[in-house]
Amino acid sequence: MNLAKRIYNWVDVRVGAGELVEKELTGYLLPTNINVWYSMGSILLFIFSIQVVTGILLLIYYVPDADKAFKSVTFIMNDVPFGWLIRMCHAVGSNMMVLILLFHMLSVLFMGSYKSPREMNWLSGFILLTMVMGISLTGYLLPWSQLSFWATTVATNSVGAVPVVGSYLVEFLRGGKLVGPPTLGRFFALHVAVIPATIAALIGAHLFFLQRTGVSTPPFGLKDTTNRWQGDSYRYESHPGGIPFLPHYTLQDLTSISVYCALFLGVVFFDPYIFFPSTAFMPADPFQTPAHIKPEWYFLPNYQTLKLFPSEFLGIAVQGAAMTFLALLPFIDRGTEKHPLKRPLFMACATGGIMLYFALMIWGHYS
Amino acid sequence: MNRIFLLPVEVPSLLRSALLLLCLLSLSLVAVAQETATVCLQCHSAQTGRGGKAVQPWKTSIHAANGISCHDCHGGDPKDAANAMSPARGFLGVPKETGIPAFCGRCHVGIREDYLQSAHGRALGKGGPTCVTCHGSHEIEKVTLELINEKSCSRCHPYERAAKIKAAMEKTEQQIVGIEGRLDRFKGEGVDTETADKSLFAIRNTYHRLFHEVNTARVTSESSKLQGELARLDQSLQKVAEQRAKRKIAGTFVVAGALVAALLFHLVRKTYD
Repeated sequence: MNLAKRIYNWVDVRVGAGELVEKELTGYLLPTNINVWYSMGSILLFIFSIQVVTGILLLIYYVPDADKAFKSVTFIMNDVPFGWLIRMCHAVGSNMMVLILLFHMLSVLFMGSYKSPREMNWLSGFILLTMVMGISLTGYLLPWSQLSFWATTVATNSVGAVPVVGSYLVEFLRGGKLVGPPTLGRFFALHVAVIPATIAALIGAHLFFLQRTGVSTPPFGLKDTTNRWQGDSYRYESHPGGIPFLPHYTLQDLTSISVYCALFLGVVFFDPYIFFPSTAFMPADPFQTPAHIKPEWYFLPNYQTLKLFPSEFLGIAVQGAAMTFLALLPFIDRGTEKHPLKRPLFMACATGGIMLYFALMIWGHYS
Repeated sequence: MNRIFLLPVEVPSLLRSALLLLCLLSLSLVAVAQETATVCLQCHSAQTGRGGKAVQPWKTSIHAANGISCHDCHGGDPKDAANAMSPARGFLGVPKETGIPAFCGRCHVGIREDYLQSAHGRALGKGGPTCVTCHGSHEIEKVTLELINEKSCSRCHPYERAAKIKAAMEKTEQQIVGIEGRLDRFKGEGVDTETADKSLFAIRNTYHRLFHEVNTARVTSESSKLQGELARLDQSLQKVAEQRAKRKIAGTFVVAGALVAALLFHLVRKTYD
């Protein structure tokens, strides 16, 4: 008996590792018609891990002080061995996380996987999206560049449109009337402690809900594509005769993660500057407003919506209503049909919504 | 942000109050945002006559681009509107014609010395040009050889000697422009250009001092020295460019590795079908 096997046996007889692997991995069966879109969650877990690791490495040299932050990031980019790679992976990774998260949500929407009994899966996922947006926004300020300073000024200004408490909220967020050193302190604490911990907890909840409800069956390639859960009692959606998670779908996950890595590293090595305008590398100057300050691509639709309405309040109210609708979708859409082609109203709304999102994004970019 | 809009009569009173409150809020936010501009700019931007004339040209100037504002030249208190133009707060106002070289020379010390020693400076107060004759007062552009041109120089004297000096300085100018472009690109990619910027700044200053020199032989010899220094600076930037090219080569292997891994995982997955 070799050493590895002896160690495995030693652990197995104590914690029942074999039983656990059998139950949760090799014996964990997935629908036979499962597709590549189900890998998005694994890719997101991988990205989150990369963000945590690169974030910790950046923390070694980053100084969260308004006088030193920009210099410390410049030092990381130019003097720390592979510092440029770590920083670029972190910054590009944040954009990729939002992108893949949107793909994940779209696949869940189109395959009707948000329908009951998976309301809590959807809600936890939706809160995760807002948290990822929040961690991206707070991280944006940390380099203390012209871009980060002014983009944060614009973003925090919008909160002022909330009735009654708006100005107090702005001051609370900024730690003063204007974006300044206290804002950096606040955003740093949110970015490295509060939001990552919340995201980790939400990921745990999301996976717990998935584990308890079972993987939803994709509506493609089946005759009956309706949701048969009656809502009378708890039911785990099992897939007898399905494909095992390990090794079959794990290999699919690894394939998807490798393809993602190729794309991600392609951006990191060849053109990370698609996410960085030149103002991202200029130190913050509160006395000089750069022309055409724009938020990150994923905030462009929100930015453009705010400009479309005669007051910021209306713009924020409309966006709030849209987000609330999306968050409560499983409670609003009670239809049992899951196949997108058999849901014409859903298809019309979803396609229209996506087109509107892209139109606002492009409009915001060129406005 | 600062919008004035009419409220339709059918809007409920509560909503109208909320909208009014928002208007006030947005106005206060605008006021907060404007705190970042100096009081000089706030007042003079609103003036339509002579008082407001300097603001727009200044905005396009090299001074504005480098954060040199009104009070940096004219003194005064840029944060206190009531005392902004008080001599007690160091307000200098507009200098007399003969005082212009000393006015600009507080910062451009070397240039002032060169100017005063030149034929231009020796004619100060006797109909000769001051700094603003060639450079303008508020629309000051980045100094390039284009400042020496027949139209401008011929206002006072024949152009021939100026043309010879310009020809001797053209190669240096080209090198400076090339290095500036490269540094701008690097800056936009997060490269630390501080040391190179300082070197170029020093070389550019020496080069600019030649602008006020009228001895053609000295201009030629100084230009060749500067060209040597610029070539060395360019070499150091070339090393940075080579390092960045190497990263892309490494990136090719890394991306290829990820794609090969994807293919292998896919093929292994197929064996389980």
